[in-house]
Amino acid sequence: MHTSKNRIFKTLVILFLLAILIINAKAIVSPLRARLTDLSAPLLKSVRSSILAFKRIIPFAFLREENRVLRQKVDLLARKLEETKAVYDENNRLKGLLDFRQTLSYTTIPAQVIGRDPTNWSNSIIIDKGLTSGVRQNKAAISMKGLVGRVLEAGRKSSKILLITDPNSKVGVLIQRNRQGGILIGRPDGRCKMIYIALDSDLVPGDKVITAGFGSIFPKDILVGEVVKVDKEPGRLYKYAIVKTQEDLSKIEEVLCIR
Amino acid sequence: MYKINRKNIYFILLIALFFQTALLNHLRIFGAKPDLLLICVVFFSLFLGSGAGLECGILAGVFKDIFALDFFGINTFILGITGFTVGVLNAKFFKDSKTTQLVLVFSFTIFSMMLHFTLVRIFSKAIILSLREYFVTSIIPTGIYTGIISIPIFSKFVEMYKLKELEDIL
Repeated sequence: MHTSKNRIFKTLVILFLLAILIINAKAIVSPLRARLTDLSAPLLKSVRSSILAFKRIIPFAFLREENRVLRQKVDLLARKLEETKAVYDENNRLKGLLDFRQTLSYTTIPAQVIGRDPTNWSNSIIIDKGLTSGVRQNKAAISMKGLVGRVLEAGRKSSKILLITDPNSKVGVLIQRNRQGGILIGRPDGRCKMIYIALDSDLVPGDKVITAGFGSIFPKDILVGEVVKVDKEPGRLYKYAIVKTQEDLSKIEEVLCIR
Repeated sequence: MYKINRKNIYFILLIALFFQTALLNHLRIFGAKPDLLLICVVFFSLFLGSGAGLECGILAGVFKDIFALDFFGINTFILGITGFTVGVLNAKFFKDSKTTQLVLVFSFTIFSMMLHFTLVRIFSKAIILSLREYFVTSIIPTGIYTGIISIPIFSKFVEMYKLKELEDIL
């Protein structure tokens, strides 16, 4: 009985301390968390490489014994072809990224995605570049196709980017065709919602959404996505639009961080 | 009572974390991905009781908090409570039933996500997303996905730790 009371007391103390930590911890733990992410970045990189290597190996594990030698040769060739194709694709992608960088009016830092948010609440990614490469907090991140998000935490060798599909993200945007303004917020299902659109605006599915350039984080006129649905917010005096992002942010592998 | 080596539990949680961080995003369905850490916490709490459940929950939560962009400690708090609650309830369930496992994981996924939403709403006034929208776009798909994925994982864990044999002996 005494032990049971003791355990409940200990549990309550732990939960109370955690609650206090949640309220006060941001300033204390933010650098610590960035440091821990930095430390785990090489591990994340190696996990990612292992997964890619594992994906390549799986098909070879089920070969039949009788034509093992022959298949090994075929597989070897196929693997070499795949590797060549992967290198070719990567080369094309990076070339495109390089061409795209040269057309931009601001300098950017290319980075690779090495990890993602483990929760279902946030939509964020971890990249392999940090303060030492010039990545700075509260700067926009883009891709070849459009806006990706903004740097929320920058460690020395890794950073976390809050994607525009995160519920905490808010971006000032415009409809490209009629310059109608609104605020873009993220949704956990990987899409965005443009809110505060005037009731008399002639928004239609297919309209392109671009950044408005208000504030200091996002540059003007970066393509964000395309309107897929327009409706009136129940009980509110404005319309909303569901926006499909230009880039599939759940599969993005490279980003450009604006300096 | 069942017994599993503590180092083994930590190792499983670490593996689950790296899978969740590096791989699961490619397996999204309707924008949702299964919560492997929650599955592990529910499993260990169900078989090992409230003390171990709380410990697993806190550790899994700290892991999540390191890589997430939430308020630091929020996942620790939520998974700690989840682990402790499942542990308290562990004697009331027939653990080997797949239906029980599915319902339990589904219910606690919904519980943890609702708690998360409530805490974020309390601490951050800037959230515009409504609970109804969050429920439809994230909570329900994640609950179903995590529940379904938990069945093969539970079976594998039971087989791996030989929990059925232990139960027979006891």
